[in-house]
Amino acid sequence: MTAFFRTFREGSGFDAVLILCAVAYLLVFSAFPLVYNVIMSFQSVDMFSITDFNRPWVGWQNYIDVINRPEAWLIVKNTAIFVLLSIVFQLGLGFGLALLFQQDFPAATFLRGLFLAGWIMPGLVVGTVWKWIFAGDFGVLNYVLNHLGIVTGKIFWLSDPAYSLYAVIIANIWLGIPFNMILLSVGLAAIPRDIYEAAELDGATAFQRFFSMTLPMMRATLGAVVSLGVILTLQQFDLIAGLTKGGPANSSNVAQYWSWQLSFETYEISAGSVIAVMMIAVVIVVATIYVRSTTNEQSA
Amino acid sequence: MKRYILLAVALVSVAVYLFPLYWMYVTALKSGTEIFQYPPTFWPPHPQWNFRQVFLQHSMASYLWNSLVIAVGVTAITVVIGTGAAYSLARIRNRWTSVALFTVLMLQVLPSSLMVTPLFVAFNQMGLLATPRLAVTLAQAAKVLTLYIVICRSTFLQVPRELEEAALVDGNSRIGAFFRIIVPLARNGILVTSVLIFLQSFGEFVYSRSLISEKSLQTATVGLSEFVGPQINDWNGIMTYSAIYITPILIVFVLLQRRIVSGLTAGALK
Repeated sequence: MTAFFRTFREGSGFDAVLILCAVAYLLVFSAFPLVYNVIMSFQSVDMFSITDFNRPWVGWQNYIDVINRPEAWLIVKNTAIFVLLSIVFQLGLGFGLALLFQQDFPAATFLRGLFLAGWIMPGLVVGTVWKWIFAGDFGVLNYVLNHLGIVTGKIFWLSDPAYSLYAVIIANIWLGIPFNMILLSVGLAAIPRDIYEAAELDGATAFQRFFSMTLPMMRATLGAVVSLGVILTLQQFDLIAGLTKGGPANSSNVAQYWSWQLSFETYEISAGSVIAVMMIAVVIVVATIYVRSTTNEQSA
Repeated sequence: MKRYILLAVALVSVAVYLFPLYWMYVTALKSGTEIFQYPPTFWPPHPQWNFRQVFLQHSMASYLWNSLVIAVGVTAITVVIGTGAAYSLARIRNRWTSVALFTVLMLQVLPSSLMVTPLFVAFNQMGLLATPRLAVTLAQAAKVLTLYIVICRSTFLQVPRELEEAALVDGNSRIGAFFRIIVPLARNGILVTSVLIFLQSFGEFVYSRSLISEKSLQTATVGLSEFVGPQINDWNGIMTYSAIYITPILIVFVLLQRRIVSGLTAGALK
């Protein structure tokens, strides 16, 4: 018996207890809900059967119902556009800024740090501030665009179905830029300086240096940043809640928001969990790519 | 010369990027009629100081208190459970810890808006919704615990193993060495990560919105989303609310900015 307690004081028992506490917590509050979600997606769950443990099993019927909903394809398309455009612009602008702040000029580190102010703000507050910027009649964005002569007349960013999704995307790009920039800066800083000097002596132009040295050497970082960006974009909920709530007429709705709406606004809980299961599957596939790319980088 | 052109470009991009924040503060200082001027004024000619009024009218004290209670609870649970696990996962490399680490990384990516449906149903069946703030705290702690473990683990990787071994030779138990040597050495990383977790939980929205039904227990984010109703014209009030809410967050962030950045990047790429 004393030997049993000794391993906790001296040996591997101590580590096992520490790890198991955390794993047990995650199993109860993360992994169990995940499994429960899959079970509910095959059951009929609504407001009346929510507290029952014995709910009718309907198999794939929930999945068929959700896929056949009239709004389903619009939302799938919106989600794809939302993720694709967010990633392209966050990455492009983030990379540009990372390259800019990599240069040697006064206060570069301090100014780069200021970008992160946007990143720490609660998503709901960011959404609310942007909602005011986007406002049709009195919004400052319309004023600036008119003033610069880019558009004439007022764009109703949030109430016009042709623009609402793009308004959400613009705000999401704003939120994602600092994160992309910082991670890419770390990648850039890891490239040894002297190979650039050597290339410059050999007469390589700035473009050649970027495309044949910087980009290839950043491959692992870019892979990690893109997959992390997809994961974070698919987590985005607060911003949409603050801006458009998916409207008008689902024109700016995306899958993760739709799932929540079904569960908590119309109480079609089985439909909500069907979408959650499908989206979580997508996220897990992306996460596997991310975890693999970061562990490869570590061993390299 | 080139350096100053670069500086000018950087200053312009910072100004463009931070414009939404500036616009929030400027709108908060405008009067009710001034916000509906077109073209808009970029500097309020007659600044209004209605922070006190908005704070009282929208019962912000109660909202902010609830956010604080949840954020403190989440941080406490996360630090107590996560620190030891991060340490052990940094120290030991074998098949079991690889599996545990992989599990942690995978559970890190689950979106709250998708996890809230099963949590709501399960908490309802367990009777946890009778104490909704506790329910939100438990759910949010599971969400941020993974991030905390990942970042803290990279801090513990930097603590030299020899120091711990020396402490054990000196007659400390594992627990003694952990509290007297390891934790003090990793203090900075633990502190910064806890602040990060705290700030994230202070701005939490999905779980509070979905699991708390009573208004007196609601958090500041939900209070803000209710303020922004379908027919809104009190934009200066809304921006005042936002300014009161996020100014403390911004101050903490500016003070710890450098350390938060280094902690985050280490966690995300290693």
